[in-house]
Amino acid sequence: MHKSIVIDHLCRVEGHGGITVRIKDDKVADVNMDIFEGPRFFEPLVVGKNYDEVAPILMRICAICSASHTVASLMAVESALGIKVSPQTRLLRELLVQGGNIESHALHLFCLAIPDFLGYPSAIALASDHLQEVKMGLELKKLANTIQEAIGGRAIHSVNAVVGGFGRLPTRGALLDLKEQLKRGLEQSLATVDLVSGLQVPDFCTSPDVYVALSSDRAGYSLFGDKILLSTGETKDIGMYKEICNERVVAHSHAKQSLFKGKPFAVGALARMVLNGENLSGQAGKARGKLGLDTVSGNMLYNNAAQAVELVYSIERSTEIIDELLGAGIREEKPVEVEARAGTGTGAVEAPRGTLYHSYSFDKAGRLTEADVITPTAQNLANIEKDLRSSVENLIDQPKESIAPKLEMVVRAYDPCISCAVHLLEVNFE
Amino acid sequence: MGKPKVGVYGLTGCAGDQLVILNCEEELLDIAGALDIKSFPMAMSGGDENCPLDIVFVDGTVVQPKDEEMLKNLRERAKLLIAIGTCAVWGGVAAMSNETPREELKNKVYGPAGQVFDTVVPQPLSSFVKVDLAISGCPIEKEQLLQAVASLLHGDLPRLPNYSVCTECKMSEYPCLLVEKGQLCLGPITVAGCKARCPSYGRPCIGCRGPVEEANVSSEVRLLREKGFTWVDIQNRLRTFAAPADCFEDKILKEGANA
Repeated sequence: MHKSIVIDHLCRVEGHGGITVRIKDDKVADVNMDIFEGPRFFEPLVVGKNYDEVAPILMRICAICSASHTVASLMAVESALGIKVSPQTRLLRELLVQGGNIESHALHLFCLAIPDFLGYPSAIALASDHLQEVKMGLELKKLANTIQEAIGGRAIHSVNAVVGGFGRLPTRGALLDLKEQLKRGLEQSLATVDLVSGLQVPDFCTSPDVYVALSSDRAGYSLFGDKILLSTGETKDIGMYKEICNERVVAHSHAKQSLFKGKPFAVGALARMVLNGENLSGQAGKARGKLGLDTVSGNMLYNNAAQAVELVYSIERSTEIIDELLGAGIREEKPVEVEARAGTGTGAVEAPRGTLYHSYSFDKAGRLTEADVITPTAQNLANIEKDLRSSVENLIDQPKESIAPKLEMVVRAYDPCISCAVHLLEVNFE
Repeated sequence: MGKPKVGVYGLTGCAGDQLVILNCEEELLDIAGALDIKSFPMAMSGGDENCPLDIVFVDGTVVQPKDEEMLKNLRERAKLLIAIGTCAVWGGVAAMSNETPREELKNKVYGPAGQVFDTVVPQPLSSFVKVDLAISGCPIEKEQLLQAVASLLHGDLPRLPNYSVCTECKMSEYPCLLVEKGQLCLGPITVAGCKARCPSYGRPCIGCRGPVEEANVSSEVRLLREKGFTWVDIQNRLRTFAAPADCFEDKILKEGANA
């Protein structure tokens, strides 16, 4: 019988992490999701910075979810300083976040996850037998980067989204151009759903989950909301996020773990699908049924399917946003003038991997006194360990060589963003 | 000559410069065909972690002994080591406050439980190993990366700009944000290569690409003082992306402030 399973370095995830499982008397004694990405101490480092410098620094927590960090950060600053942005700014920011969601899901599905299901080590290897599929994934990724460039001014680490609004507004022509590209994107996202529907989803990691996501702030599915919804039926205001993300430090990880009432919980595309999926309409609503996401399975490997449905959703929603912007006509407006004042505020966004919170306090000169950032991957870590444990228990009779890749698959299904998770905040010890 | 054997690795950072490689959607399959990619852990499993390499691309910065060990191992394996991104070239955002003791930061973030973590003062790659080519940017610009790959395939190192963002901005005839609009713009001391991306959106350069060769920092500081910016504002902006650079030493900043 095995004594331990150690995966030193997980590949095809963002950042540096590993898995250690210790087995005693045929029982799983310990499961650690090891995080050894180095700490960058972002939160204490931004103390003293001016309110307009915070987002450009904290968006750099992560490249893949930079758009979500940018928007959550700007929302937190504006909430703290009492700034109200225009409906046009809100729509453009949502478009930026939808672009980030498409990019992240396309990257994860085509470059990181689908190769697992089909038995290839990388997208490049996959391309040798499935060139059309890989090309389609890359085109979807490119579309998403085009959206982020058009709105954010750069595909990674936006330069154009600022406190109070945007530096330069996209032209009508640029939006029409995006709309045209989104048409092809929609077809490709539907083809992605077909591709994912043909993948066999193993059931070795099934165990009950508590899901958490923002509750939609308007009719329909949304990546924004000011309430946190739990599958236990509870809801909280986003300002109360600390009650859910009760963080603890564990020795094997530079990322803290989150527990709600002492129990792990899951955030991300699957959590959103479970909590808000019935609000999906259009092709995305159909895709949800096609991929069997209208019932709750407790199997995190379905997160990949949920991402495929969200590809369709984010593309349909991007088109809607553009129609709304064009319908109203782009108004030339400068970012809202800011008057510095003391205050505290929280911003939350459904990032590709789950709910992301930024919360800041400023002094009366508008300099930051305290920052707290809670990333989706940090919230998922305890749940990943729970799923790894139940997977090992289900697989314990198999040879070690066959268990290890399955455990990697579980971790990869969460699409962990380890740079994000190692975000490091100030904690209060009781 | 056969295809160069290449590795792509990340130390501590946001992985944004590795992501720029994956964001070359149109060129990616050609790049993968022209190079013999031996390992790229972010994007592929089962890489060769021991073979000698012709070229290694490294993003991120050294913030812990593990990063240093990995970097030195990569240096031994590779003929050419290429630092990609401002973190690798200058230390990046993690290095913005290196005068603050790590113990203090660790305590603030993790409390007493953090004592088990081993960290070092964040430093660029060149503090530890010889760097053959430094492509800065936060993140790097795709065109510079592709040009570098093309040059390397011809056995050359690419020529990178030795002029400032300010020059690029003037060439594009954008209105001057520093002199005309009185904004805290670092264009005059930041290395070009982004086609003055921020000024093109009406936003001041925040220096994410790091300093240009022979940057006249004290003159920039003097100008910003004249425009009415406080010492704290100026220091905050200057010491965000490339604080460990010699030109941002306290002594030089103060020269400008007191002039």
